[in-house]
Amino acid sequence: MSTPLEFLKIFAGQLQQAEIPFAITSGMACVHYGLQQITKDSDWIIPAEDLGRLRELFTRLEGDLPPWRISYRQICGAPLEAEFMAHGWTSHLSVWDSAGSVEHKVDIFSKPPRVRSEELQMDAEGWASRHIVAQMKRTDRDKDWPIVHGLGQQLSEHQRPEGLLHLAELNALLAAWKAATQQEREQMTARRPLLRMLADRSEIDPLYFERRILLERLIWERVNEQRHTRYTRPWRRFYRSWRQELDWEWPSSEAFTAQHQRLLGAARGYGLPPDPLADTPKEALVETAVAAVCQVAAAAKQEVAEVLPPVYELLP
Amino acid sequence: MKIRIVPPEPEIEYSEDYYEWMARAMGEEKAAWARLPREEREKELTWYHENFNTPDDLAVWPPELDGGKYNP
Repeated sequence: MSTPLEFLKIFAGQLQQAEIPFAITSGMACVHYGLQQITKDSDWIIPAEDLGRLRELFTRLEGDLPPWRISYRQICGAPLEAEFMAHGWTSHLSVWDSAGSVEHKVDIFSKPPRVRSEELQMDAEGWASRHIVAQMKRTDRDKDWPIVHGLGQQLSEHQRPEGLLHLAELNALLAAWKAATQQEREQMTARRPLLRMLADRSEIDPLYFERRILLERLIWERVNEQRHTRYTRPWRRFYRSWRQELDWEWPSSEAFTAQHQRLLGAARGYGLPPDPLADTPKEALVETAVAAVCQVAAAAKQEVAEVLPPVYELLP
Repeated sequence: MKIRIVPPEPEIEYSEDYYEWMARAMGEEKAAWARLPREEREKELTWYHENFNTPDDLAVWPPELDGGKYNP
């Protein structure tokens, strides 16, 4: 029986052997970086163009001795298919790597939220970079934000300018700012307008700074909310329609390929949108989020605009 | 989309400021755990996995997709 950490290595080995590129992210990456003590599930970034080969690998593993079992979970997300996954959906699987194995929950991303594709990096062991993990952790859960700052601290101590994008405490930001070159400062300020405060003021009022940090976080949270509801709403609609089918059973006990065909057919048949953001300009999502921030934080639009990251940062 | 492979960052000893921040933000116990070498940290996690069977997260959808807070 493999423990979650052993499974992580086993599955990574299988992907490497099949020459399928991947990066391990989220909770397990935070354990790896010493910022999260406990997690069991694993999150993997696998490019959409390699998902066909991933499904082939699953078929092979199901035929191995001892056989693996791979199944979609009940809340399965989208089919593991490029037409959906390339547009920000996730796919949720359970994997048993032997008969006596515990269930390993595996979530697959092909277009991870808030991550610019040109920045997608992993090390030779397959760990997503700290910057990628920090971007993905900008959720609306309170517990994720200290991790974002912690990854920023680590990046700064590794002399990486991206630390400036993630730090949320004034002294740490001032130290990282001091260590950065002029070019790095300019590059990072273009991505995080809040950094202008460090350049413009000789003395920064800590409370004034704290308010700006809070506004900035609220922006990320509200933009995330705008984005994810465009996935969860149509998914729920799709699922409600699908489960009306006669003798509907999900997840079925079929082999993964059969399950996949069933889910793919249902997703297409019941109109799960491959790209839920296709009809909404990203600027409009950000504008709605900013209006919410102004209301929640009793902030003027100008005040929010001072810390508003560019649209390509919020919704790449 | 291509995932670029980069050399791993060298293991470094983080500053006392870092661990002090961690103790403030996440508690003394976590800060003490973070000071352990990676193998020791993983050993501890394995012990938890072998001795407890708790859900990883109470949210059905992964937090990176939905934030986890408002969705059942």
